[in-house]
Amino acid sequence: MSDGPYCPPSSAGDVDAGIDFENLFETAPCGYVLADKDGRITRANQTFAQWTGYPAALLIGRRFSDLLPVVGKIFYETHFVPMLHIQGRFTEVALEIVSAGNQKIPVIVNASMTNEPDGVIPSIRFTLFVSAERRSYERGLLAARNEAQATILAERVDSELREQFIAVLGHDLRNPIASIGSGVHLLGKEALTDRGRKILELMGGSVVRAAGLIDNVLDFARGRLGGGITLMRDARESLEPVLRQVVAELRSIAAGQRVEAIYAIAEPVNCDRVRIGQLLSNLLGNALTHGAKDQPVRLEASTDADALIIAVTNGGAPIPTEAFEHLFQPFYRGGDKGASHGLGLGLHIAAEIARAHGGSLTVQSDEAQTCFTFTMPLRQSASD
Amino acid sequence: MMFAHGFGCDQNMWRFVAPAFERNFRTILFDYVGAGGSDAGAYDAERYGSLQGYADDVVALARALDVEGGIFVGHSVSAMIGLIAARQAPELFSDLVLVGPSPCYIDDGDYVGGFSRDQILELLDFLDSNHMGWSQTMAPVIMGNADRPELAEELTNSFCRTDPEIAKRFARTTFLSDNRADLGAIDARVLILQCRDDVIAPIPVGEYVHQHIPGSELVLIDASGHCPNLSAPKATIAAIKAFV
Repeated sequence: MSDGPYCPPSSAGDVDAGIDFENLFETAPCGYVLADKDGRITRANQTFAQWTGYPAALLIGRRFSDLLPVVGKIFYETHFVPMLHIQGRFTEVALEIVSAGNQKIPVIVNASMTNEPDGVIPSIRFTLFVSAERRSYERGLLAARNEAQATILAERVDSELREQFIAVLGHDLRNPIASIGSGVHLLGKEALTDRGRKILELMGGSVVRAAGLIDNVLDFARGRLGGGITLMRDARESLEPVLRQVVAELRSIAAGQRVEAIYAIAEPVNCDRVRIGQLLSNLLGNALTHGAKDQPVRLEASTDADALIIAVTNGGAPIPTEAFEHLFQPFYRGGDKGASHGLGLGLHIAAEIARAHGGSLTVQSDEAQTCFTFTMPLRQSASD
Repeated sequence: MMFAHGFGCDQNMWRFVAPAFERNFRTILFDYVGAGGSDAGAYDAERYGSLQGYADDVVALARALDVEGGIFVGHSVSAMIGLIAARQAPELFSDLVLVGPSPCYIDDGDYVGGFSRDQILELLDFLDSNHMGWSQTMAPVIMGNADRPELAEELTNSFCRTDPEIAKRFARTTFLSDNRADLGAIDARVLILQCRDDVIAPIPVGEYVHQHIPGSELVLIDASGHCPNLSAPKATIAAIKAFV
């Protein structure tokens, strides 16, 4: 056995250093196995023999793959051997060695082929490290990863179901709300007492608000389901009547608060008018809810050479600085004053509509006033 | 002359064999979808859930390259893929060389495939434990060490890379499929190359294939293991040359 590849080189320097290479090979803290090109073991060190329980002499002549369990054999033939031949080595392979006592010993294996210049492959060298703890750690990591993936998948399915439910519910609520709206409209033509008319007006306002909320919820659900906000742009029809209609609706629910409006729109504007109406409705609704009740809400809708600008301003306390970053997030409700003022989707949807139009929604707020400004470039890039 | 690789590697499997045929044949080497340099994005779990999907690709590839009356050399699972493809489009291949073929890896009644179903399922878990190490060494390759290529070369097992999930699916498709029904008479000439000591496709399996393909020729090559194309390229080349 003294002619094995791990024999001490005969250079004087090494001898002087006093290193006993034979002993190092035999008792190194790793297993050494040498094999011929077919994987038949020609020599194994004491460490390996000790780990596996096979006397070193008994290992000789057996194939390395004989020491592997069945799955290890498959991997050895389909991965290990090909890699060894193709790249001359294969490293960090997790295998199990079946011991003499039929125990499976987890090992990390590095292997290399000694390559001769003429392409003849004389032998394979294996280095083995027992890795029981590392393997169980890795298994733990794998199990944790698989569990996390399964949880995420289940959650995703759940949340999709929930969002579909919201979408369906919102959609189905539209019809009864529309019926109530027509009912209110028809009743308005009847002879009513002043008190009755007052109540009807309030009901009409509530219908507008409910319909607006449903639209926002539906848009949100669609966005989450991957539908996003879809636009039906049309530059032929005028935008102003739609804005006036929205202002009229909001005035009807403003409960005495004044809404002033200035229109200076040079038509045409290539936009989705219904969507821009929804955006305005959301901004006005927000201003009426959060602005000072004794100050008017002001709308300025105008165009300049480059852009459509819709600005909605209200008085009252400024928006706290810490609220700014959450303002356009869904379900964010500023300055919770106990009473619920909706779902907190209004500004989020408004911002999404702005984005879909290639525009932006910005906010400025100080002690004097709070102003939300929608700006949309009139000359669209080819993107939409 | 088309060379098809088996499970576990890619066209590199043929690097010691294919060049020997370049002088007399037009040689075609390729990676199956999900293996080697193929576009892993093209992988479709349903399509490649059976060998038929791979056979369809072989037919499509051969047709695209105007192969007619060619020679198909398939290693391991590719032997069966080649048989299916040749049956589907008989004009493509006049000769089939099946290296270490097995129509069914799982024992079934009198049939001895070599493995039990449980052992194959265990293999899928096993692949997981080895891909963990691979994914770590994957990093330098992905991030690219253009300035220090020797680093990637030194640290990684850079051949035969596969996405771990695809590898598991291919293993499942390969080892759980039963294609014994695809044997039987076929127009093409068939050579079966059988190794000694092959745990994946033992001699009785090679003989089974030989018996069930009338007129096929069985040659036992003096090589140990499942990959004579790598461990005994000279003997493999000689056997194929003698046949074609």
